[in-house]
Amino acid sequence: MRNLNFLRSRILSILIIIGTAGSSYGQNTILQNTHIRGFMEVDASYHDNKLSFGFGEQDLFITSQLTDRFSFLGESVFKYTASSPTEFSVSIERAIVKYNYSGNNNLLLGKQHTPINFWNDTYHHGRVFYPTIERPLLFPANFIPIHTTGIAAEGHDLGKIKFGYNVLIGNGIGSSDVANNDTRVSLTTAVYIKPVENLKLGVSYYNDAIAAGSEENGKVIHWNVNQQLFTGSISYFGRKFEILTEGTLAQDKTDTTGTQNNLASYFYAGYKITDKLVPYIRFDNLRYGSGEIYYTKNNTNSFIAGLRYYVDPLLVLKLEYQHLDREIQGKTYAFTFQIAVGF
Amino acid sequence: MRICTFRYRRLVIYILPVILFTLCTVSIKAQQDTTLVAIGNVTGVPGELQMTELKSVFRGERQRWKDGTKVVIAMIKSTTPLGKAVSQKIYSMSGDEVRGFWARISFAGKFDPPNVFNTEAEVEVFVSQNPGTIAILNKVITTTDVKTILVSGKKTF
Repeated sequence: MRNLNFLRSRILSILIIIGTAGSSYGQNTILQNTHIRGFMEVDASYHDNKLSFGFGEQDLFITSQLTDRFSFLGESVFKYTASSPTEFSVSIERAIVKYNYSGNNNLLLGKQHTPINFWNDTYHHGRVFYPTIERPLLFPANFIPIHTTGIAAEGHDLGKIKFGYNVLIGNGIGSSDVANNDTRVSLTTAVYIKPVENLKLGVSYYNDAIAAGSEENGKVIHWNVNQQLFTGSISYFGRKFEILTEGTLAQDKTDTTGTQNNLASYFYAGYKITDKLVPYIRFDNLRYGSGEIYYTKNNTNSFIAGLRYYVDPLLVLKLEYQHLDREIQGKTYAFTFQIAVGF
Repeated sequence: MRICTFRYRRLVIYILPVILFTLCTVSIKAQQDTTLVAIGNVTGVPGELQMTELKSVFRGERQRWKDGTKVVIAMIKSTTPLGKAVSQKIYSMSGDEVRGFWARISFAGKFDPPNVFNTEAEVEVFVSQNPGTIAILNKVITTTDVKTILVSGKKTF
């Protein structure tokens, strides 16, 4: 039995070595050119009169060129989950088979980050790339559907103004990763242009019907909700200045409450003192309709001031002060320090 | 003795920054003055590109050449003098910033990161063996498998 275990551990070691070698020297492998990368962050924060330490998501990111035109992208996250028996859970965040059918035009099938705004379509789960420690508040408030499992057509950097588009049809809110929960599908359409270097302007539209009885983010939806999301984005990451601002108007319509307008927005600005040091600020604002019943109504204002330091492009230190003013929890503040790495 | 120390301090305070600034300026100027040449595999890569097109290709904004061959980018390490010159002229970034730029693009799943090599000879061999590959070196190369690409009508830039 011990020999068997020894043999298993040796085989596992060899497989790991082969896998590592394959990922490092992709051109030399007889199989597909596969790369494995990862992301991780650790934090220390001071709030509610106590100092806490923790770590966030450990993200494994795999890409593989299957053929000249087909490729695969997978992203799995390991994270602390209080409700899990082991206090950890694993989730598939992205699993996409991509077919490049012509030039810069692709078809994508699988679970993807909904291309609804710049942040969700650019940074994904890589905290090391985030300009601030955490995502804007419209993400934890579940204002937008972060993931959609479905089929998409996309194009990028087309023509002189570098036009891009996304059309995504998917299972929609309340569905699982393996099946739709109702007869309707969600629709996401997004377009952008990059008229000058480092500037990107984009708009998107999302439409979905959320069936009564659906469970989303641990909350059961008791009414049929027709949801429309209108989003606008401006991003500029230049040699000295960084500006990123996005806003989403969410219209939730139910038979009892009519149409409720909810608005979530944020504004980020940073200034590169040197290539490695960037002080920054971010304002977040969440405003809900008075009769809103799909979202948890919690009008919020937030202000962040922080400092980002690049030890390396894939090793970033951030120090932040955040002041939060929320309708439910009241006023709070926090100091947070983060080390985010990519490997 | 105290006067001597005072003079020495003044020397350090005033002269050292000037020396450092001069060295930095000379170093940046040297990188900007490096003559660069775009080369490509004879299959797929066009014989002429505009500078804006070349920059666009090296920023991962083009997946296929006109004949349908996949665009592959080969680069020399950004820590080498040639790599630093490429980072400045093509990306207007430092070598570290170029690494960060590619990390963001590849993590978003938009484009495969460039194949990076230690020496110019390695880059040349890779370009010669892989259709659709484009690279930037500092000398004109024309062999049976590799061609020099005219950039805005010129062999060097």
